[in-house]
Amino acid sequence: MSETIEEKIKSYRTAPFDARFPNTNQTRNCFQNYLDYHRCNKALSATDQDVAPCDWYQRVYKSLCPMSWVSKWDEAIESGSFPGKI
Amino acid sequence: MSMFAVVRKQLKSHPALIPLFVFIGGGATMSMMYLARLGLRNPDVCWDRKNNPEPWNKMAPTDQYKFYTVNMDYSKLKKQGPDF
Repeated sequence: MSETIEEKIKSYRTAPFDARFPNTNQTRNCFQNYLDYHRCNKALSATDQDVAPCDWYQRVYKSLCPMSWVSKWDEAIESGSFPGKI
Repeated sequence: MSMFAVVRKQLKSHPALIPLFVFIGGGATMSMMYLARLGLRNPDVCWDRKNNPEPWNKMAPTDQYKFYTVNMDYSKLKKQGPDF
């Protein structure tokens, strides 16, 4: 399976199965993808690469996370009080 | 350590108590071993935040975490390229 990231993002339907979080409680899946999106942005923009591949993580967390959590975390990031390691 | 001497004396006069100790001791050992296994081998547990921060990220996409899966084909692919 060597689809490129653009093809995968274009044909995205929903968050795929993640072996790290196989049970009903997907809270950590949501948080992990949120963290991965921001870490990916930070890492790729630090080396001046295109941040488009990070959109995969954004699609996944937007599928999984409740909107209230996402807005709360976004505000926390802007105010500098986000508890996760980015 | 005089407690053990007392117990040994009691066991000599009531040898039927020995299976009690065996089974209770075995049960306690198994419980402690299960807790130790959960603490040390579970990928959700993080002991060392500096050197091993997120151990669940070390699982390959084909690792089965659950004990029994009904119809799950675990030969999947990794999502998204490694970038950091």
